[in-house]
Amino acid sequence: MESQQSTHSDSLHGILAEFRNPKELVDAARKVEQSGYKKYDAYTPFPIHGLEKAMNLKDSPLGWIVFLHGLIGAGGALLLMIWTMGYDYPMNISGKPYIDIPSFIPVTFELTILLSAFGATFGMLYLNGLPKFHNPLFNSDRFDKVTDDGFFIGIESDDALFEREKVKDLLEEAGASHIEEIHD
Amino acid sequence: MSQVDIKDRLTLPDQVNPTRGLIATGVVGLIASAIGYFLNHDQFFFSYLTSWVFYMSIALAALFFVMLQHVTRSSWSVVVRRIPETLSYNILPWAIFLIPVLFGMHTLYHWTHHSAVAHDPVLQGKTPWLNSTFFVVRQFIYFGIWGFLSYRLHKNSVKMDETGDWGLQTLLRRTSGPGIFIYAITVGFASIDWLMTLDPHWYSTIFAVYFFSMSIQAFFAVMILMVFYLQSKGVLQQTINRSHIYDLGILLFGFSIFYAYIAFCQYLLIYYANLPEETVWFHHRLEHGYQGIALALLIGRFLIPFLVLLPKKMKSIKNVVIPISILILAVHFFELSWLVMPLLKEHGYSINWMDVTTFLGLGGIFFGLFFNKFRKHKIIPENDPLLEQSVNKHL
Amino acid sequence: MSTTYEYVPKPALVKGDHDFGDITDMICETPLQKTPPLWYVAFGAANILLLVMLALIGYLFWEGTGVWGLNVPAGWGWAIVNFVWWVGIGHAGTLISAILFLFRQDWRTAINRFAEAMTIFAVMCAGVFPAIHVGRIWFIYWVFPIPNQMAMWPNFTSPLLWDVFAVSTYFTVSVLFWYVGLIPDFATLRDKATSKLQKITYGIFSLGWTGSFRDWWNYEKAYMILAGLATPLVLSVHTVVSFDFSVSLIPGWHSTIFPPYFVAGAIYSGFAMVLSLMIIARKIYGLEDIMNVDIMEKMNIVMMATGLLVAFAYLMEGWTAWYSGYIYEQAIFKLYVVGPYDWGFWILMFCNVVTPNFLWSKTVRRNVTLTFIISILVNIGMWFERFMIAVASLSTDFLPSSWDYYSPTWVDIWTYIGTFGLFFTFFLLFLRFFPMIAIAEVKAVMPQADPHYYEENGSNDHGKSGDNELKSNND
Repeated sequence: MESQQSTHSDSLHGILAEFRNPKELVDAARKVEQSGYKKYDAYTPFPIHGLEKAMNLKDSPLGWIVFLHGLIGAGGALLLMIWTMGYDYPMNISGKPYIDIPSFIPVTFELTILLSAFGATFGMLYLNGLPKFHNPLFNSDRFDKVTDDGFFIGIESDDALFEREKVKDLLEEAGASHIEEIHD
Repeated sequence: MSQVDIKDRLTLPDQVNPTRGLIATGVVGLIASAIGYFLNHDQFFFSYLTSWVFYMSIALAALFFVMLQHVTRSSWSVVVRRIPETLSYNILPWAIFLIPVLFGMHTLYHWTHHSAVAHDPVLQGKTPWLNSTFFVVRQFIYFGIWGFLSYRLHKNSVKMDETGDWGLQTLLRRTSGPGIFIYAITVGFASIDWLMTLDPHWYSTIFAVYFFSMSIQAFFAVMILMVFYLQSKGVLQQTINRSHIYDLGILLFGFSIFYAYIAFCQYLLIYYANLPEETVWFHHRLEHGYQGIALALLIGRFLIPFLVLLPKKMKSIKNVVIPISILILAVHFFELSWLVMPLLKEHGYSINWMDVTTFLGLGGIFFGLFFNKFRKHKIIPENDPLLEQSVNKHL
Repeated sequence: MSTTYEYVPKPALVKGDHDFGDITDMICETPLQKTPPLWYVAFGAANILLLVMLALIGYLFWEGTGVWGLNVPAGWGWAIVNFVWWVGIGHAGTLISAILFLFRQDWRTAINRFAEAMTIFAVMCAGVFPAIHVGRIWFIYWVFPIPNQMAMWPNFTSPLLWDVFAVSTYFTVSVLFWYVGLIPDFATLRDKATSKLQKITYGIFSLGWTGSFRDWWNYEKAYMILAGLATPLVLSVHTVVSFDFSVSLIPGWHSTIFPPYFVAGAIYSGFAMVLSLMIIARKIYGLEDIMNVDIMEKMNIVMMATGLLVAFAYLMEGWTAWYSGYIYEQAIFKLYVVGPYDWGFWILMFCNVVTPNFLWSKTVRRNVTLTFIISILVNIGMWFERFMIAVASLSTDFLPSSWDYYSPTWVDIWTYIGTFGLFFTFFLLFLRFFPMIAIAEVKAVMPQADPHYYEENGSNDHGKSGDNELKSNND
């Protein structure tokens, strides 16, 4: 894979820098954010607290996705039960009303949770653009450490401010222990 | 002498001294209620019991909260722990205020009428438990146990402020472990004694849990209001930060759901099985105006707190959690009325002026005693081993 | 007052001197190495039991429910007991993952993956019984609201139908929660794997995870929401199971405390099962630094607390049965204590009420062998609890002339034993191929994971056991 990393300067995907520990990463991310880059990201083996402030991330919209799914679950369950039990085939069951709301609560609850959980899981995957099996970052051997004990920042070449040498200088200044170019 | 860097002062400033005003309100309220006793003593006793249980439930839930924090070694709650410690310290004085209830037993509790029991085989079977002597003896046992626990937990926590002896944390924890267990049994039977035996034929095995779920929810509402009251007076403005408010908010939210769960289970099981001796209890509480309170419980104790506090941000916003807490406390009072009042006014609920005077009277005394004790000590446990983590907590 | 209590500091979560790399290696070793021969032996044994179960289910379908020990009046026997028992065990995993997550009990990271796996497989075992219990298995689709030629719908007011929704939702959400937690760890295995097959397989399951922080940001939100959803869900599942009994009029079943009491009992047995399995696994796989004695002690405390809650519920039930003045309720409690099944009652009392009290002692809580014995006893006790509720209440019904003694047949017994085959088949596959500890989560609770850690210490390898070292930085 090293061989692919030759001189295809036109296919440059971005620049990846490694940092020694979470603190250096947070400081570097703050620096990158303050320098005005937009298309950059930090890569870590586990979520680091304080990094969202350094990177100035907005609150995830996932809550709303889940809430909508939950509403569909609750509404759908109630409508299904009211229609089937109350209108389509009403039957007298132990003298209770046809539309017996207290007895409908358990199923309504379960379906609300079920749909909300779908919303949370698949909504998260959607927001993260997963599954995505090809990623230029995987061309870097060093990047294997990201799920072990490596802390990285990558700045993509699509960024409006991207200039190869400037980016490298910035990352070097931020204390990167290793800097490499990532090619497609 | 605290090793932790705290920017606020650790005692209540002199100008924050609501004790006198509160006690005065309390005395006026109680005098007015006493006048009420001579006008309509039935109403007086029922109103008094409702208000007394209202404050008692908060003090009891506070005791539970303190013990739970010790057992789980929670660090987040250390900065606010002195408040529940002091609230639960009121349990012992509150035993004195139980005396009017004991004098009113004949009015309040149908099972004290020997003539009624004589014609009622079901009540005859219950006399080993439902007799005035044993009832009073049980109250001594309950208050003895709770008084001991709350006194010991407060005293040693305060002692740690002065001596800085971290070993006391171990003592507090070892008291709390068995304490919670004994607490569960005593509070269970006490709630049955005070409230369930008002209707001596009715029974529900979940009643103790139901009472607990109400109390703990109301307790968190009190905590939130207390924290904001103190902060509005310039107390602990730095030390108690958004993250602590958020934790109180999430507990308020969580216990709103817990309350709804328990209350719904009790309702559903009785409704579904439809046994006459059980459903009659709900029957009395779902007609003649009581259905309005029942609806208010559903909306005010569950739906509104649930929907409003659902987004994460809301749980720490002052202008959101304060109205929600006030709402919950108001509904807590009405729920207790809903449990108690059908015995007095079966044919229509109406609020009586004595409900208000006993509520204000006992409330004034309760919080008067609270502030009296609170200002005598450090307002946070300044030498607690977990204080540092608590202070350094941020959202 | 010269009480001399010693201050006991909060223990560190991960024992020994480990950095992030050590954690990765320690956990990834098992899935990536060659299969040990002993594993094949265990897997083979589990498979045999699984086959026994499948054969007996086939026999049941062929012959009908007459092969079981059911009679009139005891129409619910071992099948329901086993269902409730397994589903109860299946509560610990999601509880540990969700509720302890919301309460920020960081020690959960050592066992949550493991317990979640146990949950899923226990729910699978539980699901077997109601399905085969329906008698006419070919009509099982009637439990779902599928439009059909009879224009009929399921009865949504039946607690048995609530069960269908509760258990299937619980299973689905538990799997989703588990899988979401696994994604970053599959990525770790992908990056650690050496063989092509492993790389591709783990690569597919990791969905292309890069550890991007923008992804983590949504991921953490999703995890938190799933925990928030799973918490009431856990409570609801055993609540609905308890409704199966408590909405009825049968004395001993109709009790309003059943929902919270069943939930407490479920957590109790679930923790007991996690402890039993954890004590074996930590030994075999050398994970004693992560699944350490402190964690075991905490689990013992939860187990004791829920055990005492269950005891509290027994007390309330027994007391209320007397207090109610309802003769049938009083009679059934007398029959529990001195009746045809009193032996079951005393086993239950010993295992569920007496045993947890040994855990008041710190020495017992920290003793691996004793904990193991207690956890097994608790599981036995919880099985007998369900047996007493289901069988003892039914077989002595309102009319003494119709009373009948229930005993299981060999089919009942071996189907139950066979479910352990189902459970361990999946559990062994999990132990073999999955990261059995949540790698990313363990790292996230280590002191080195906090950026503030480096302000004080400067270097990477200093003060690893400290928990009070994080100084504030007010931003």
